[in-house]
Amino acid sequence: MTQATQKEKQETDQPVVRMKSQDLSVFYGDQQALFEVNLDIYTNQVTALIGPSGCGKSTFMRCLNRMNDYVEGCRVTGKVRLDGFNIYKNNVDTILLRQKVGMVFQKPNPFPKSIYENVAYGPRIHRLVKTPQDMDALVEKTLRRVGLWDEVADRLSSPGTSLSGGQQQRLCIARAIATRPEVVLMDEPCSALDPIATAKVEELIKELARKFTIVIVTHSMQQAQRVSDQTAFFHMGHIVESGPTTQIFTAPEDQRTRDYIGGKFG
Amino acid sequence: MTRLFQRHTRIAVRRVQRKKSPFIYKSYSKKPKHRLLRKRKAQEQRFRRTGLAAIVLASLFLVSLIWNIVASGYSAFTQVQVRIPVTYEQGLIEKEAYRTIIQKSLTELFPNVENRSEKRALFGLISRNAPYILQKEVQNNPSLVGERHEVWLPVSSQISIFYKQELYRQGERGGSVSPTEAAWITALAQSKRMRLSFNAAFFTNGDSREAERAGILASTAGSLLTIIVCVLMAFPLGVATAIYLEEFAPKNWFTDFVEININNLAAVPSIIFGLLGLAVYLNMFGLPRSSSLVGGMVLALLILPVIVIATRNALQAVPRSIRFAAAALGATPTQVVFHHTLIYALPGIMTGVILSIARAFGETAPLLMIGMVAFVVDVPKIFTDPATTLPVQVYLWSNNPELGFVEKTAAAIMVLLAFMALINLLAIYIRQRFEIKW
Ligand SMILES: Nc1ncnc2c1ncn2[C@@H]1O[C@H](COP(=O)(O)OP(=O)(O)OP(=O)(O)O)[C@@H](O)[C@H]1O
Ligand SMILES: [Mg+2]
Repeated sequence: MTQATQKEKQETDQPVVRMKSQDLSVFYGDQQALFEVNLDIYTNQVTALIGPSGCGKSTFMRCLNRMNDYVEGCRVTGKVRLDGFNIYKNNVDTILLRQKVGMVFQKPNPFPKSIYENVAYGPRIHRLVKTPQDMDALVEKTLRRVGLWDEVADRLSSPGTSLSGGQQQRLCIARAIATRPEVVLMDEPCSALDPIATAKVEELIKELARKFTIVIVTHSMQQAQRVSDQTAFFHMGHIVESGPTTQIFTAPEDQRTRDYIGGKFG
Repeated sequence: MTRLFQRHTRIAVRRVQRKKSPFIYKSYSKKPKHRLLRKRKAQEQRFRRTGLAAIVLASLFLVSLIWNIVASGYSAFTQVQVRIPVTYEQGLIEKEAYRTIIQKSLTELFPNVENRSEKRALFGLISRNAPYILQKEVQNNPSLVGERHEVWLPVSSQISIFYKQELYRQGERGGSVSPTEAAWITALAQSKRMRLSFNAAFFTNGDSREAERAGILASTAGSLLTIIVCVLMAFPLGVATAIYLEEFAPKNWFTDFVEININNLAAVPSIIFGLLGLAVYLNMFGLPRSSSLVGGMVLALLILPVIVIATRNALQAVPRSIRFAAAALGATPTQVVFHHTLIYALPGIMTGVILSIARAFGETAPLLMIGMVAFVVDVPKIFTDPATTLPVQVYLWSNNPELGFVEKTAAAIMVLLAFMALINLLAIYIRQRFEIKW
């Protein structure tokens, strides 16, 4: 996408496409998990991926920062564009890509290092801060944003794995946003959180969306409605329907979407 | 009315039954459900008893082995000494005739001995090492010259065995001590001139032809030097191999082939590695024979596959999700390994490495092949000095026909076992202290 068209779109108050999947198919060995998926992800918007378990939401999300490269026997065809550039081109450096596209995994996976080090690791390898004081400030700020600071301020040196499941999840979110990614992928970030922490994370998502682009997988219809601007409904590896969240939830076109939102299956 | 009554009684009956918990099992119960349970419980009992019996049997073997070694070896840690009045005559000291000094004082103690062969036997009471001890004393303290002192000196090997047998009632070994000698010992003991003292020489001497002088210092030092070479070579090579195979190598027929070969190498008899070392290190590269350098290099070959396997297992134990987490933050594959995977696997790797060191420490056969069976009196100082190791020393002493070496062998085995126990304790400590639970 050229500068000119971007401007044009902003002027007409159209949302800007940040990422775009084109005829994206994913195979695990012989089994196909995604079938020619086309989806636009807009800048400064939250895109929610919903759908029954096993429909390919995580698979799609992993395509957006090429984490599928690590899955043995996984083959991807089609294109994923970030700012118009195909990230599946051979000469794309995944290190640069993943610094821009951060990820929070479905299962919390903190490093067995200290809580501090968990957050500081990304900024450190990317040399984002210069002095230890700046690092301290960054760690505190990031932990505050995910609402974890008050709980862990006095034990920053204990291992991240010693936290509870919900705390670990928030630590993983902090770890992901500490590197200042521009697109943040969150795979069910609230699955292990209590309502208060959930509310905090949702607030964080909305706040992040002001600057960044967010993609979130969720099984909670309420959450999708609360936080997202766009919604894509996945079913058995296909995108059945996608569009503005209000439209998907108030006037779904497809019968399957209607059934899923209405709680008939999934 | 009847219906009401019936219902009433049914409720009453149910109440009574409620008191009996359905979760109570009695071994005499005839309920079909309980019969099945009885069978399952019997099965469990059988399994437990078998396991317990196996453990008891194994411990019995272990205890009898250790008992055997300790019983025949503990006396080596003590030394029998005799106290004799020594006159440091200046003339004799100048001639360095310390043997004569000792002989004089023995004659003084037993003036009745005149027969030449009896005299030789009398002088034979004292260790042949004793003159050197006196010499050292005089060198350290020249003011002794001309004085007269009571001095404790070690007895000869035969006398020592006899005395210890009497003392510990160790019997059956049959020392060759004549009745006259026995009478002398008894006389000396009665006049409080015999004592047992700690045998420091066992820990501070190298090997010797005389049992009462032989010690384990040289072989222990040899063992240490050998292990240092072995670890310096095997640890980086093995860990690097494992990291490459596990984290970087593409999965193809070649890496599969390498993997199969590594697993096979771990099962190759150790003597083969000795022959390999003989052919390659000694004959091809001409490295010094019977040196700890070559010994360590041979042992490194031996434990290399074990280290590779242990390291790969430790790396595999780190969950893939951790690698993903690091990669998703934009860490390069090398950073993922060195900042995360390797660090988290390190306790497991160290445990594996330490256990393989224990194996190398106890290895004998391959060292025989490269000439480390040398008779080593001096403590080896550098890696190219002729050296032997503790287990080889055990092997050498156990082949020595002299009676005094029996207890030395057992004592050296005890030291070897103590080292093994220490190494294993270290491994356990590291595992307990640092291992990460996922
Ligand atoms: N590593 C893998 N190897 C083989 N098949 C896989 C792998 N990961 C996912 N799949 C398959 O791909 C399909 C989509 O899986 P995916 O994890 O994307 O589902 P999901 O929508 O995230 O489900 P959930 O809501 O339960 O997380 C499933 O049928 C799954 O069995
Ligand atoms: Mg998923």
